[in-house]
Amino acid sequence: MTAVLDAPAELSGDEVQEVLAARAAEARRLVVDMAASPRGCHLGGSLSVLDILIAALHRASAGDGTEVVLSKGHAAAGLYAALYVSGILPENPAPLYGLAGSPYTGHPGPKVPGVRFPTGSLGHGVPYAAGWAMARRIGSLPGLGIAVAGDGELQEGLVWETCQVAAAQRLGNFVLVVDRNGGQNDGMVADISPLPDLAGRFAAFGFDVVETDGHDLAGLTALLAGDRSSATRPLAVIAATVKGKGVPAVEGKAASHYVSIDARRANQWKRAIK
Amino acid sequence: MTLSGRDAYRDELALLGAEDPALLCLEADLGGKGHAFQLAHPERFFNLGIAEGAMVDMAAGLASAGYKPFVSTFAPFAALRAAESLKLTLGYLAAGVTVVAPYAGVSGAWFGTTHHTLEDLAVLRSVPGVTIAAPYGEAEMRAVIREAVRSGKPHYIRTGRNAAYESLDTAAAEGPYEGELPLVNWEFRAGSEDVCLVSVGEEGTRLAMEARLAAPGTAHAHLVYLDHEHLTQAAAELAAHHRRFVVVEEHRAQGGVAEALALLLPRCEVTAASANRSWPSQGGDHAEVMAAVGLDLPAVLAAVDRAGDQALAGAA
Repeated sequence: MTAVLDAPAELSGDEVQEVLAARAAEARRLVVDMAASPRGCHLGGSLSVLDILIAALHRASAGDGTEVVLSKGHAAAGLYAALYVSGILPENPAPLYGLAGSPYTGHPGPKVPGVRFPTGSLGHGVPYAAGWAMARRIGSLPGLGIAVAGDGELQEGLVWETCQVAAAQRLGNFVLVVDRNGGQNDGMVADISPLPDLAGRFAAFGFDVVETDGHDLAGLTALLAGDRSSATRPLAVIAATVKGKGVPAVEGKAASHYVSIDARRANQWKRAIK
Repeated sequence: MTLSGRDAYRDELALLGAEDPALLCLEADLGGKGHAFQLAHPERFFNLGIAEGAMVDMAAGLASAGYKPFVSTFAPFAALRAAESLKLTLGYLAAGVTVVAPYAGVSGAWFGTTHHTLEDLAVLRSVPGVTIAAPYGEAEMRAVIREAVRSGKPHYIRTGRNAAYESLDTAAAEGPYEGELPLVNWEFRAGSEDVCLVSVGEEGTRLAMEARLAAPGTAHAHLVYLDHEHLTQAAAELAAHHRRFVVVEEHRAQGGVAEALALLLPRCEVTAASANRSWPSQGGDHAEVMAAVGLDLPAVLAAVDRAGDQALAGAA
């Protein structure tokens, strides 16, 4: 996702946040449209991760070689929407989502503009981003490797395998953002495989750790804005989010994980998005 | 003195690394002391620890950024533990990553079943777009490594443990070989009605040459590239010379080269001298463990005899 966004760089800080907020709202409407497609979509996780993706793509717009990898690839609808409203994807993906001949599959692949790696088999996006960060480090180049993972995804050993490697390799330009919406396919993370002391876990691996509101666009953009080319500890951002965020009818509900709705309901839900 | 396959890989990559700053060498804590690439280019050598899946995926990230990563770990861990990463990185992404996998087959010998892999060809051959090579001898390994760097295509390169074999008489054996190796290396040609041994990998080739000495008149064709695309072309060349083949491979028959050639050569008779479906669970050296899975010289000769008998029966 290396395409450069041009508009926000010319705006003041507040104006940038207004642009990003507008993008997030529009992206949420697109995600609802995809839930109303013949296939339905992973609605809850797409909505919870949207503000993180909008902020991360804005960070990549700095043009310093930052790469954003959505590791929780089942939130593909959220990624496609975020790419479109950020100006990276040239066409509206919603009318094409899940259709034959369309690259907008239920989990993203590199045929989608702005997507470099195939994700959705959980865990793999984290080392992809770490490898990218390692390349920047080897070349003495700026830019981050940002992986956006789900909290349920942290059950995959590959995530922690990569954390061990990233810390050992002193990849301070590697950032792992956890979309902590508390849900997973069959229920709640806390009921299936809880994550006690998650911040402490990352710290024990040798990460810098920040806990934040995953829907605070200004806070997220500030967190990701830094130049970490001289940092030696990877950064974990534990972002508290709400599954289904922005659509009151499904906010916080585990059942929002995968949703298929009709056009009438989609219009109701889109009108409720602020 | 000739080098083993894995030592030849390390040495050749170190040589190439002097010319190409994009080459990186990644190991998962099984590279050992005195790794040639580490000694020559320490700033581009990375022991990522015991993390095979992360290593292959990170190699995808590195390749995406313009580097040419070579990753290496024992074959059972590369082909099976990291299988999904190989599918995505080598196959779907077609990333310019080369996986070098020593300890293939039962070359792990007395280390036991966990360190054997008689399934790696079956796994990798089913992933589209991956060039698969099993070189025999130092010169062939060097040629394969050079080709992997030159082509930039994803490679899986299978080799044994420490055994060192004199290279066959090929262009590669005579010095640095800049082109792709011959599809079929005819170690010995015979009449078209004679049985032709088709050797795969280090031990398959050793056994085939021993069998040819014990059964003079048997032809021997050695194959180094084992993926579907290369085998399809090699099969055409094999069929132009012979109709009966015995494939010798340190792999199970299921998913192996014999099975592939049987599909590619429906008008020929293809049989296999390969590992049976047992799980070797006792110690011994490499040859002894191979014998325990039914793969030794008597087994190869018996397969040649059966193929010859079929030829006689057909003639009668």
